[in-house]
Amino acid sequence: MNAVRLIAWREYKQYVFSRGFLLFLFMFPLGMVLIGGAMGLLESSKPTRHFVVYDETGLYTDDIDREIARRHLRSSINVWDMYLGVNAEPTALEAGSIPEPFFAPDLTDRRVSAFEAAGGFDAAAAAAAPFLKAGAPTFSQPKLLFRRIELPADVASATSLASVEEALRPYLLEQRLAHMGEGDAARLFAAILIPKTFGADEDAAPAQYWSRNLTDQALEAIVTSALNSALQRQAIIDFGLPREALDEVAAIDAPVSAFRPDRAPGKAELGMKDRIETALPAVLTYMLLVIIFGVGNLLLTNTIEERSNKIVEILLSSVTANQLMMGKLIGIAAVGMTMPTIFLLGGLALAGATGGPANVMGVAFETLFSTNLLLIYLFYFLCAYLIFSMIFLAIGAVSNSLQDAQSYMGPVMLLVFAPLPFMIMVFQNPNGLVATILTWIPIYTPYAVMMRAAADPPMWEILGATALMLAFTIFLMRIMGRIFRQAILQASPPKIREVWKLARKETT
Amino acid sequence: MTEISVSLNNVTKRYGAFTAVDDLSFEVAKGEIYGFLGPNGAGKTTTLRMMLDIISPSSGGLEILGSTSAITVRQRIGYLPEERGLYRKMKAAESIAYFAQLRGVPKKKAYSKAYELLEQFGLEKFARSKTEALSKGMAQKVQLLTTIAHEPELLILDEPFSGLDPINQQTLEELIKHQSESGRTIIFSTHVMQHAERLCDRFLIIAEGKKRFEGTLGEARAAFAQRLHVRTDASVQALRALGGVLEIRVEEAGREGEETTYEIELEDGADPQEFLKKAIAAGIAISRFEQAGATLHDIFVALAGDEQDDAQAASATLHKAAAE
Repeated sequence: MNAVRLIAWREYKQYVFSRGFLLFLFMFPLGMVLIGGAMGLLESSKPTRHFVVYDETGLYTDDIDREIARRHLRSSINVWDMYLGVNAEPTALEAGSIPEPFFAPDLTDRRVSAFEAAGGFDAAAAAAAPFLKAGAPTFSQPKLLFRRIELPADVASATSLASVEEALRPYLLEQRLAHMGEGDAARLFAAILIPKTFGADEDAAPAQYWSRNLTDQALEAIVTSALNSALQRQAIIDFGLPREALDEVAAIDAPVSAFRPDRAPGKAELGMKDRIETALPAVLTYMLLVIIFGVGNLLLTNTIEERSNKIVEILLSSVTANQLMMGKLIGIAAVGMTMPTIFLLGGLALAGATGGPANVMGVAFETLFSTNLLLIYLFYFLCAYLIFSMIFLAIGAVSNSLQDAQSYMGPVMLLVFAPLPFMIMVFQNPNGLVATILTWIPIYTPYAVMMRAAADPPMWEILGATALMLAFTIFLMRIMGRIFRQAILQASPPKIREVWKLARKETT
Repeated sequence: MTEISVSLNNVTKRYGAFTAVDDLSFEVAKGEIYGFLGPNGAGKTTTLRMMLDIISPSSGGLEILGSTSAITVRQRIGYLPEERGLYRKMKAAESIAYFAQLRGVPKKKAYSKAYELLEQFGLEKFARSKTEALSKGMAQKVQLLTTIAHEPELLILDEPFSGLDPINQQTLEELIKHQSESGRTIIFSTHVMQHAERLCDRFLIIAEGKKRFEGTLGEARAAFAQRLHVRTDASVQALRALGGVLEIRVEEAGREGEETTYEIELEDGADPQEFLKKAIAAGIAISRFEQAGATLHDIFVALAGDEQDDAQAASATLHKAAAE
């Protein structure tokens, strides 16, 4: 047992204390911070883009301005909510100490309007101030992304749409800068030209969006939406309804709640916890797939190393082939579990740091620990690991180089990843035919059962398939162990036909 | 009664239709240096692996340090395989300590022994160097130290001299002698006869999986054709007339009326002293009479060489001689 422990520890140490892994450990949180910081920086350093509107009708410029202001306010409130999530005392958020609309679970058009009506960010900051954590930074509203400027003098004096177009070209091609007043000049990002005959009619002329940048379509979308609602509003007025009717109509969000029939009345409504509970198995399953593939590769390469470096013979004069195999399996399994454990701990720390009832991470952990998902996950992880790692070990034992291993790896990779396309089907219909079929194929039982764990699959099916899987695992371990023990010491790698012979019986 | 460290009884190892080791029996006494000689592919490594229970024999039995399986006594055995390897990323001291620990030495003791051995072999500066940073010769030394760090009472070395430069070969010879003086039993395989000649108490010659000879160098020489170097003015005919002569070669021809040096190969079993007596009796003046035993190299080539028939014939003679 001591030998198995030593071998396992060496395997574990080799990978987990390697420079690469430690670098990853260090880089991961650093990377998260950097990415977060970079995104914030990008967002704050994004230049305000300037555009002009040439509106022959004189009707739509205000609509475009209003739409830009409304969207900016909405995204600013979104940032405000995140700011509260990080900087406000979680208890205050839970107790609802910060009044609506300054703090609310979701962001609707109605809330945006109410937010503005209640005094905007100054009022919001005042309302939240008593409940902020000590040392919290003050909130600063994000920059405006798009700003309309006045038409340059030479463009404004043009008399037809065609001449405006001509006059704008040097500005749009950034050959000339547009003056914004007070001596400032700006590059022109886009120009919107609205012809006299623009309207909702079928034969109406289209509004024109001119820009050299065709990839950033945000402004185009804003303009389209502004013109859309302007035309819709006009149509409503034409129908004889008051102008404000459209704003009323547009602000309507249909409330829909989802319910679970298996819950007691009054408790059946689906919350975020339920949604996470159903999504979590899928996340864990994909993680399982990635880990199995990752550690399988480790096993393969280090078995090949021991074989081709001839270390294996000294090892086998000190320990039995079975001890060597067990040591490797345990050591590498521990490597496989280290990564998710670190993620889990990191996630827990993050969830603890941010807190709050609306915290997705917090709910995810609560779900993970309050159900027996974690135990189920561990059990099936070990089963899936045993099945695939034995295959990888045997391949390592019959290969002198990665090149030798390639011929076996193709079919094995196909086996490992074959359930991938079907996983979506299992996710959407956890008790359907595909799910049942995958459950009964021993090498896919772990994936299928984990995917279905939250959907209450029939117990007999799970027990039966699990028993079959365990029997298959034992069978596979015997076969692959046989190949490992016999092939690991052969000087030249056996041919595929010989591998079959090795699998069938142990030569004496 | 001498204590036996290793004994093999009619051990055979077959791989399908191929017989790697064929009905092999021998014994190694405690404290002996035992040479295991044979050409490439003779079955040496297979036999050593069976002794270590890394592979099991197809038939026959063996006993090692009083056990039928080396696994139960592996902590008392040190093994140096022919093809050597260490973990590339492991440091020298760590490698030695790791293998010692695998053979049951507690961690602390394993490390202190590792440093002690590295110092003894002038490698203390490289204790913290990774294997991949060591020269080939240094890595081989480290490998050898991994074999002895747990102070085994039986050392099994498979072609220990191969790949070593002359200085390291010398070091290894000294190490083997030193280990033997401390009472350890050493079995080593080789196809370089000089080492065996200098080191072995007894040896076994194996070819094509079969035992060709087992015994001391003296026994082998006694049973083997004797060679004499004789300086005389007598003619070849006169020497041949004395009887018991297989072949006479001129080693150094003298001028007219001067003496010539001959190499005389006697028939099997012929006594050199008898030959000398007859020569004196026949009035042949001899100014040099030197008895040269067959070298181990000659014996090896004769027994394990390509010519099967010769080898078998020689082997039969030797067995007869050994039996007598």
